[in-house]
Amino acid sequence: MRTVSEIVAQLRQVADDPKGSVARWQKETGGRAVGVMPVYCPEEIIHAAGCLPVGMWGAQKKQISKARTYLPPFACSVMQSVMELELEGAYDDLAAVVFSVPCDTLKCMSQKWHGKAPIITFTHPQNRKAAQSAANVFCREEYAILKAKLEDLLDVRISSAALKNSIAVYNANRQACRAFCDAAARHPELISPADRHAVIKARWFMEKSQHTALVQELNAALDAAPVVPFSGKKVILTGILAEPAEVLDIFAENGFAVVADDLAQESRNFRQDVPEDDDPLMALAKAWTALDGCSLAVDPDKPRGKMLVDEVKRTGADAVIVCMMKFCDPEEFDYPILLEEFEAAGVRNLFLEIDQETTSFEQARTRIQTFAEIL
Amino acid sequence: MDINVNEATSKELLAYYQAKLDQEAIEAKKAGKLVCWSASVAPPEFCVAMDIAMVYPETHAAGAGARKASMDLLKVADQKGYNIDVCSYARTNLGYMELLKQEALSGQTPDTLANSKATRVPLPDLVITCNNICNTLLKWYENLAKELNIPCIVIDVPFNHTMPVSKHNKAYIAEQFRTAIHQLEEICGRPFDYDKFLAAQEQVQRSVYQWNRVAACAQQTPSPLNGFDLFNYMALIVCARARDYAEITFRKFADELEAKAKAGQYAFGGAENEKHRITWEGIAVWPYLGATFKGLKNQGSVMTGSAYPGLWNLTYTPGDLESMAEAYTNVYINTCGPNRYEEFLKVVQSSKSEGVVLHLNRSCKLMSLLNNEGAEYVSAKLGVPYVSFDGDQTDPRVFSQAQYETRVQALSEMMDEKQQDTGRDEK
Amino acid sequence: MYTLGIDIGSSSSKAVILEDGQRTVAEAAVQVGTGTSGPSRVLEEVFAGTGLTRADMAFTVATGYGRFSIEGADKQISEITCHAKGIHHLIPDARTIIDIGGQDAKAIQLDSRGNISKFVMNDKCAAGTGRFLDVMSRVLEIPLDKMGEAHFRATEVAPVSSTCTVFAESEVISQLSKGLPRENIVAGVHQSVASKACALAYRVGVEPAVVMCGGVAQNPGVVDAMEKELGQSIIVAPHPQLTGALGAALLAYETWKKEHQA
Repeated sequence: MRTVSEIVAQLRQVADDPKGSVARWQKETGGRAVGVMPVYCPEEIIHAAGCLPVGMWGAQKKQISKARTYLPPFACSVMQSVMELELEGAYDDLAAVVFSVPCDTLKCMSQKWHGKAPIITFTHPQNRKAAQSAANVFCREEYAILKAKLEDLLDVRISSAALKNSIAVYNANRQACRAFCDAAARHPELISPADRHAVIKARWFMEKSQHTALVQELNAALDAAPVVPFSGKKVILTGILAEPAEVLDIFAENGFAVVADDLAQESRNFRQDVPEDDDPLMALAKAWTALDGCSLAVDPDKPRGKMLVDEVKRTGADAVIVCMMKFCDPEEFDYPILLEEFEAAGVRNLFLEIDQETTSFEQARTRIQTFAEIL
Repeated sequence: MDINVNEATSKELLAYYQAKLDQEAIEAKKAGKLVCWSASVAPPEFCVAMDIAMVYPETHAAGAGARKASMDLLKVADQKGYNIDVCSYARTNLGYMELLKQEALSGQTPDTLANSKATRVPLPDLVITCNNICNTLLKWYENLAKELNIPCIVIDVPFNHTMPVSKHNKAYIAEQFRTAIHQLEEICGRPFDYDKFLAAQEQVQRSVYQWNRVAACAQQTPSPLNGFDLFNYMALIVCARARDYAEITFRKFADELEAKAKAGQYAFGGAENEKHRITWEGIAVWPYLGATFKGLKNQGSVMTGSAYPGLWNLTYTPGDLESMAEAYTNVYINTCGPNRYEEFLKVVQSSKSEGVVLHLNRSCKLMSLLNNEGAEYVSAKLGVPYVSFDGDQTDPRVFSQAQYETRVQALSEMMDEKQQDTGRDEK
Repeated sequence: MYTLGIDIGSSSSKAVILEDGQRTVAEAAVQVGTGTSGPSRVLEEVFAGTGLTRADMAFTVATGYGRFSIEGADKQISEITCHAKGIHHLIPDARTIIDIGGQDAKAIQLDSRGNISKFVMNDKCAAGTGRFLDVMSRVLEIPLDKMGEAHFRATEVAPVSSTCTVFAESEVISQLSKGLPRENIVAGVHQSVASKACALAYRVGVEPAVVMCGGVAQNPGVVDAMEKELGQSIIVAPHPQLTGALGAALLAYETWKKEHQA
């Protein structure tokens, strides 16, 4: 049996080198890769077409220069970095790129694509609660069109059976990821915040059943390890994503363990399974209207704060860290409400600005260290 | 205040009806009737059919900006934790809402509210939003509903990534109209008034007709209409299109403009003062409306084109929900690039613009992030030069007059050169 | 026994030597910060004439942006905790601290025991920090240490509305070219810094006593603008630039004591 660190090392390699991982898969299978822009692409449809869905979450430590021509400074950091990569040709080997448009910046990004790969755009419905059944029907139709366009572009047929199978593969992965999050929370001495992030991030660059197998192996290794007392502080991360890795290392330096997350790049994708439905496209549509607690999924009830407060209770976390993606207005709108709800519930919290282009971590270090000092 | 509608000028009518709308909302609130805050291009037809008084936060925020009253309200939002990067209409309004809420909870008027030059409007009992001009309006109204614990009616018009508008898109929106009707029946505790609804739809059509008549005046050469006036008159197409206030005012305004042109009087007086015609893309810089206008006027540039007023060209068949759905979703910034650029081209063409000024508006990502692409498209087709400047619709901290004037002058020089090259006939 | 607190900021280096966690033996400040000769010079200066050396220090705490670059420090503590400590020691009534440094502005809320209950920091933008004042002092051709005097000669405030430093610079230049009195523009610059810093203070909640520290607190013009903005009086910490180093020396003493009791 491999050790925790051996399995983590393998997943870290995938997370650190998406291009290499995709290339490896292509060499093994001869299959094609399809890019998925953030957020909540029904990847199962791509998987059912026999292709590898690849997450497009920008890149760390990138100097943004070419993108400045096409984006003003007030577009968010992930999109600046995606634009830079587009212009550098980083996405040109993809057979297609799928865009969702749940925010204004993504709407515009979908209309100014500068890569060579053909793109397909679909729109998520946002009246997800009051008009749920109409939203489901609309969403199903958008997915059906997406499916038809993919079939056309890739010259494949996606059968209902294949789609159902892919949903099962993805649900198994979701289950494994949830189990991993809990196991990681029990073993902060073995899984650092950066490890945790890498294990989850790797799912964006691997065929999901392969990722599931590795995560299950890791979970077994973690379950076999003795639980030791932890003297540091437990935190929950909320936001779009928590990168660059340096920031996560600063958490570790200050004795923080991530016991749960509410990140668009991480748990929000696997908190819930896709429900059962005879019509697999409808099942995927229902998964979208059931998704709760994300700033990009509109809901006038705004359950996110309550969900986080509940999560603090469930995990015994000491605090919530708001990882604020710079210039992400949906997240910025949620923040004042979260703040009120945290105060009301007595949940300690820290605001941390996230910018993939960051080269200096001094301010983040000061914030995180001070927070550790006062918790 | 009373007014003789037949004798009043359109400018007097505009001021009169704007004040009257606010007053009606305040009185409705006092009388225990419902007040609804609405997104600017959300359908008012449903609420008006149920006698709900309407208040428009975007117009209110723009007014606060123009009166230089937005900064105090923005500060309140800052204190609540709203990032300075968030849309300044939203921040102005959420700041204002916060003050109203404090007043309602404590029974005491906060000084900032008592001293504010922003017009007084009442707190809402419900809100209605629609994302045909941005998804920001969804997030903003979520927060209003949450903060005030009141119902939120959402009309979600999905981004049209392919045009024309798809069938399932129209069906989804029409279905939401039906949901909105049920929501209103529940909120009001009585059946929906379909007769009044039809009347409101018909009124919207008449208002839009007169609004388009005004906008069309800018197509004449020289133009009797100073495009900046549209920014002001816009208040009524937003706030009163389902009432006859808008129709009456715009009819008068269009009549005045036609008479003005007949008398040889144009936007800048004599015909010779119209040196250039330009299209303005984006929302006005409200706190510097005068400065941005004068910057252009000093160069003899009349604003004759703007795609923005066209957002309210909501033409549909009354009684047909799908037709209404299509009108509300078919807003140029809610459509794919190719359609959006083509619509922009039509504006530049029909206004006979020789140059384009792009407002790189920090508040509005949806308008700003595809500005350059649209201008490139138009420039390639028509050879029209363009310039872009940094600004914001209501946050006074994001605009540099020096930068604006330099850019506008540069545009004017480019247009001069083109005129010399093509030998536009001397006037 | 002696403890040492060193605060290496972005634009200055400060040090304080304490005896028994009570008496300040020596203090020093050098107006260059991390990555320069500042850290070594400030150490030379603080020890000069005391007859003490680094070896006499029972415990050393480093703070500030350059805290990880100080050799021989026993512990690194963030400048927020250090300022809070230093201020609570000097002014036990302090509940709100506004610290404006070279590139950071912070607002800190203390409870009655001097513990930090909340803190917020500025975003990356330089507005509302010492850096903003540096730029404006250059444009206005008024030395930084004369900005305070100029402020009180203003007949009215010429507002500087842009938050962006580049825009604010062009705004100030255009006011100068319009012939507005420099003093009035200085007052506008100070108001702009104050409004940005107060926004942070509002976020933690402003409770008296309000204390200012950090290098910018030495500018009475900014303090005046802050008082007007907050509508209440502000206590400027004695030696406001040194409160971080003082707090570090105090924390060094506490840590030493804890370790030696255990």
